[in-house]
Amino acid sequence: MTTTVERGADTASEQTRARYPDQAGYVRRDGVNLYWEVYGSGDLTVFLMPTWSIIHSRHWKMQIPYLARHCRVLTFDGRGNGRSDRPAELDAYREEEFAADALAVLDATATERAVVVSLSRGAERSLLLAAQHPDRVEKLVFIAPAVPLPPVVSRHRAAQEFEEPRDEYVDWGKWNRHYWVENYEDFLEFFFSQCFTEPHSTKQREDAVGWGLETTAETLVATQLAPRLQDEGGVRDLLARVDCPVLVIHGSEDAIRPCASGARLAELAGG
Amino acid sequence: MLEGSGHLPHARDPVKVNLLLRDFVSPPPRPSRWVRGKSRRKRALYVSSPIGLGHAQRDAAIADELRRLHPELEIDWLAQHPVTAVLEKRGERIHPASHFLANESAHIESESAEHDLHCFQAIRRMDEILLSNFMVFHDVVRDDQYDLWIGDEAWELDYYLHENPEQKRAAYAWLTDFVGWLPMGDGGEHEAYLTADYNAEMIEHIARFPRVRDRAIFVGNPDDVVSDSFGPDLPLIRDWTEEHFAFAGYVTGFDPRELGDRERLRAELGYREGEQVCIVTVGGSGVGGDLLRRVIASFPEAKELVPALRMVVVAGPRIDPASLPTHDGLEVRTYVHELYRHLAACDLAVVQGGLTTSMELTANRRPFLYFPLRHHFEQNFHVRHRLERYGSGRCMDFATASPSVIANAIAEEIGREVDYQPVETDGAARAAALIAELL
Repeated sequence: MTTTVERGADTASEQTRARYPDQAGYVRRDGVNLYWEVYGSGDLTVFLMPTWSIIHSRHWKMQIPYLARHCRVLTFDGRGNGRSDRPAELDAYREEEFAADALAVLDATATERAVVVSLSRGAERSLLLAAQHPDRVEKLVFIAPAVPLPPVVSRHRAAQEFEEPRDEYVDWGKWNRHYWVENYEDFLEFFFSQCFTEPHSTKQREDAVGWGLETTAETLVATQLAPRLQDEGGVRDLLARVDCPVLVIHGSEDAIRPCASGARLAELAGG
Repeated sequence: MLEGSGHLPHARDPVKVNLLLRDFVSPPPRPSRWVRGKSRRKRALYVSSPIGLGHAQRDAAIADELRRLHPELEIDWLAQHPVTAVLEKRGERIHPASHFLANESAHIESESAEHDLHCFQAIRRMDEILLSNFMVFHDVVRDDQYDLWIGDEAWELDYYLHENPEQKRAAYAWLTDFVGWLPMGDGGEHEAYLTADYNAEMIEHIARFPRVRDRAIFVGNPDDVVSDSFGPDLPLIRDWTEEHFAFAGYVTGFDPRELGDRERLRAELGYREGEQVCIVTVGGSGVGGDLLRRVIASFPEAKELVPALRMVVVAGPRIDPASLPTHDGLEVRTYVHELYRHLAACDLAVVQGGLTTSMELTANRRPFLYFPLRHHFEQNFHVRHRLERYGSGRCMDFATASPSVIANAIAEEIGREVDYQPVETDGAARAAALIAELL
């Protein structure tokens, strides 16, 4: 079921956009409402995928106005944040669900094919979409892809003890469900300080923390506990079914996902 | 690989990521035409800040002087409303891509409350608009050859050229009338930290890439620069500015001498002998409605104190005059043609704390009351400092200025002889001469 809405009404705190969607609406899939936006027009569509639900589609704000001058741009809020629903159960946050949401959004907006652009945790769902529906994906772009390729991430140990309560939570020790629930905003501050390691990034951090506060710690815990690809083998299996051009963009100082793992993805993708 | 970038490069290095995406998704068509260097016409692209109307007047004056020095020079403007309104009247050539610019004035208005505009935060919250407008600029100069780019407080241009210095492909002149983000007192430590961080980034930009700004021009004189520091462990603004800027003096956008005899001007504008004319104006933005209402409320009392008072309230293009209260004998106008002539002829003006209008009044030696917008660091610190140096205007606090306080101030100031420091009239010519060397 698809509903079209007047251009996405501003939330109270949202700053003026450079460009507002030409069309916006909701698609309902499996009882979950997903909010999408279309900007611009043309034969070519760029599909800006949702990343981890810690932030929503506004994180593409620097891309949308520019790209929409040159092609059609489609984006949506992933389940768990923004104007989309926040189901409670963790199975609702499986990567397969996000990929199926993406397909539903393509259908709802009559988008036959698109260049699929993802950030970080948007990588696996984009690979799934491309592997399962190669006819719908023209090209793939991965920015700072979060897929289980070596080397291990700096929070590896904390991630293994994600559910264990601790006496104190310092640095990546804050990657812990108990800390999230009790000190959500501080966790957001810490996490985005690691996302933006570049000096003079106060505005970017503030934006991201603000988007993070639009969802809840409980929702994020669910997204974190939902199963995802565990090893390189899983990534290879998906890539084997992908036959479109791939671009990987990765920062050398990425403190969340090592740059080398992005390079490995590019290598496996045949680049 | 983006060397030095973190996990979200599309947010922190958006120009580079946007261009990578564009090239991969749908590369721009290659130009089918190339012009030999020797065959190129001499061209400049002028980017004028649309926040407030002041820049348009001064930039047009500078453009005239530039054309005097280089008669063959073609100037295109990348500009938006309300700057375009001024430029179109003068028959200037507005680049068609201007149509793609996201509106900055509307954003600034949306950020304002009752006589209140947190200017620093409003500009921070304009990051998406600024980047979008830089990308428009990028596409224009990728396809079109210019010898020179001029940016008058074109923040997007200056910032992203320093962030992406490989994008600089022409001589570039930067103009501003203030240097340094300053925190408002009630912003506490956090705001002081933020303004210092922005200042530090700017200082680092200039130190690392001195080649980006071929000319940095301060519209004013060294004494107009505030004595504050950029922040903890950062230089003094005045020292740094003197080291890194050339000074053009103030650019009025008109020559007061050309206005002629004031009595004749008054007669021409329809002001009768013996009338005490008070003009109330808040410029071209929609931010000033509250001030207009407050001054209108002072009219009956002011009229009692000054029986010959004739008050003219100019609503401007973005305030509906029907939304303002009325009084017998009070005139409310939407638009006044050549407002600067009325300001030159009046006996008193009541204005906001913006630089252009207050300096016009200073140049014309008219008494005036000015009300800086709350939380507007430029009006509260930079402009006020400059006006105090000229000894001009009476600074009023909107929070404490009741209608009665305003009426009394009007009575005290109207028609008063002033002893302001004179304002130079050659600022536009000096600025143009500094820029012309780049051509």
